[in-house]
Amino acid sequence: MNRREAAERISLLLGGTLSVELTAGLMGQVIHPGPNVAVSVAQQALLAEVADVIIPTTDTPGAKAAGAEQFIIRVMRDCYPLQEQEAFYAGLAKLEADSQSAHGKAFADLESNAKIQLVQQTAEMNRAFFKRLKELTVTGYFTSEIGATRALAYLPVPGRFAGDVPMEKGQKTWAL
Amino acid sequence: MATLSIQSKQERTYDAIVVGSGVSGGWAAKELTEKGLRVLMLERGRQLDHITGYEYAMKAPWETKYNGRLTTEQIESHPKLSRDYPYNEMTEKYWFNDSDSLYKEVQRFDWYRPNIVGGKSIMWGRQSYRWSDLDFEANLKDGIAVDWPIRYADIAPWYSYVEKHAGISGEKLGLPQLPDGEFLPPMEMYYVEKEVRQRLEKAFPGRHMTIGRVANLSKAAEAQSGIGRGPCMYRNRCAYGCPFGAYFSTQSCTLPPAAKTGRLTLRPDSIVTEIVLDDPSQRATGVRVRDAVTMEDREYFAKILFVCASAISSTALLMNSISSRFPNGLGNDSGQLGRNLMDHHFRVGASGVWEGGLDRYYYGRRANGIYVPRYQNIGSDKRDYLRGFGYQGGASREGWQRNVAELAFGEDFKTELTKPGRWTMGLGGFGETLPYEDNRMDLDQNTRDKWGLPVVVFDAGLRDNEKKMRLDMANDAQEMLEASGLKNVTPYDKESHLGMAIHEMGTARMGRDPKTSVLNAHNQVHAVPNVFLTDGACMTSSACVNPSLTYMALTARAADFAVAELKKLNL
Repeated sequence: MNRREAAERISLLLGGTLSVELTAGLMGQVIHPGPNVAVSVAQQALLAEVADVIIPTTDTPGAKAAGAEQFIIRVMRDCYPLQEQEAFYAGLAKLEADSQSAHGKAFADLESNAKIQLVQQTAEMNRAFFKRLKELTVTGYFTSEIGATRALAYLPVPGRFAGDVPMEKGQKTWAL
Repeated sequence: MATLSIQSKQERTYDAIVVGSGVSGGWAAKELTEKGLRVLMLERGRQLDHITGYEYAMKAPWETKYNGRLTTEQIESHPKLSRDYPYNEMTEKYWFNDSDSLYKEVQRFDWYRPNIVGGKSIMWGRQSYRWSDLDFEANLKDGIAVDWPIRYADIAPWYSYVEKHAGISGEKLGLPQLPDGEFLPPMEMYYVEKEVRQRLEKAFPGRHMTIGRVANLSKAAEAQSGIGRGPCMYRNRCAYGCPFGAYFSTQSCTLPPAAKTGRLTLRPDSIVTEIVLDDPSQRATGVRVRDAVTMEDREYFAKILFVCASAISSTALLMNSISSRFPNGLGNDSGQLGRNLMDHHFRVGASGVWEGGLDRYYYGRRANGIYVPRYQNIGSDKRDYLRGFGYQGGASREGWQRNVAELAFGEDFKTELTKPGRWTMGLGGFGETLPYEDNRMDLDQNTRDKWGLPVVVFDAGLRDNEKKMRLDMANDAQEMLEASGLKNVTPYDKESHLGMAIHEMGTARMGRDPKTSVLNAHNQVHAVPNVFLTDGACMTSSACVNPSLTYMALTARAADFAVAELKKLNL
């Protein structure tokens, strides 16, 4: 018996009451998870810019190089209800609008100091949005390949354990 | 319903049937096959191949989608499981879909059902401790529930037997309330744990702190390397399945020797719906099985049954096995089936910050913590409640996840997070829950699940004894951490609902008298001697000690007894 037959058989046993979604699930198809905010290419680019102010390039690459915005977009889309997605992207839109009204320029086109100033202002004025953005940026960055392997000390298979060793100079936080 | 391939009754007959493939079922299969029996192991979950089936075991964090978060869709489809952390992005495929069999809660009960071969032996916490006569004598001394029909001396050799094969690392302490075992070398403590241990044991004579006794191989002895297991790589990814076979699971430890005998047949996707009873002989003849995928029904036959489906599922199976002899569930002459439901209560303790030690760090990720054995109501330490609690805990050094200044961002913020933070340490209590007759589970015959089976209803909660104990669990932790030099020590009680510790026990208890218990001293159903039940359902009290090692020992002991009885033609 193949998978389709099995699904149909279960459906029959349950009186043919299986929803289209459940049948699709049994058949291994992807079920659309519900309404989402559609994120434009411009919004994605803007997110990358803002994330890169939160975690900038220093002696190691920053959030933009690590692609943290992709993690943020994915988590917002799949793990938050529509209302919270809308609030988040409204916060992002506000930041861009503030840039236009204060500087007559897109956030992406601002000088570094102006970017920092605007993010600082957002942190104070729109705290909920900032905290969510910061949390997702930090997680997205330090769990990215660049963040974990370059900004932190990445050791996937230690092979042994020592609970009490002197800390080396310049020791970075373990990534895992 | 017609079956697609009808096997003859002879082809569906075995010497023994084992229901479930978790910690207990795995041991039953190993012991029975090694003693020469042809065994059919039935598992309701899907096949999970050792090593190749562990999808997330070797994935880097950037290869996950959400770094562990659940999606809104998963929260909707798993309304019970999504309430706590064990169900997450990396382990989601190991767990049962709540929606397929949505159990009912008169009082909240967190029921963690796996959906894989290996059961919870794949995702378990691996803490492995012996129980003692402090536990086995407790009911008798307190005049509570019924007396355990066994004592430590009955089970001690079986603890040794299973420890040698499973491989438990730990430190000997010589304490009567937490007997030593056959240990592999102990894992090392962190710098702060060593400091705290010294201070704690000095400030509180009679209290001890030791490294966790854990079913991870600190060293692979011949018993382990001989079946393809390697030592722990200190990755701390155990719950995803270990590609090195370095911790005890059915796949790493009990299935390989069982399979090697050539006498094991494992059938995944096989839901045992009923135990079939032969009325005149008062023996079970076998089981009815519904295929979880195709819904085909089929019957299998055997001389003996080992019911190891997990505490709740084993009892549900007995309850669903109705006959004219047992109208209230198989073996339920006592009316105790489904009663005395227990779990450890926890999520209460304290944590604090260690000032200093910033020049000390560690190498590797130890999938283990420290343990403070029970000290309450022992000797002169008297409390205003019965029994007691132990602590699990540990120190750690804050990493990038730590919360630095709320509104900080930018270069300095990033640089700060890439350096190790402060040392912190916590103690979390695990407390004994008394066996209350009306803490119970039942079946709702009017509500059927996806497979047409009645759903489980829970009505059990913590009582005064546990609530009083919780005050001490927080206070003592605070007191000990403060006396040991930690600062900013904060007690917490995050509420514990039964089931959350995933140490569910009771509902088919062992006892001396068939009028007041379901199982005898050999885990044999009093009235149906060829049915054995050796998982958490059999427990007569809960102790405060993690129970899995005791299930292993009881199962090996019962299997030995069952085969001896078979040879004597007593079954």
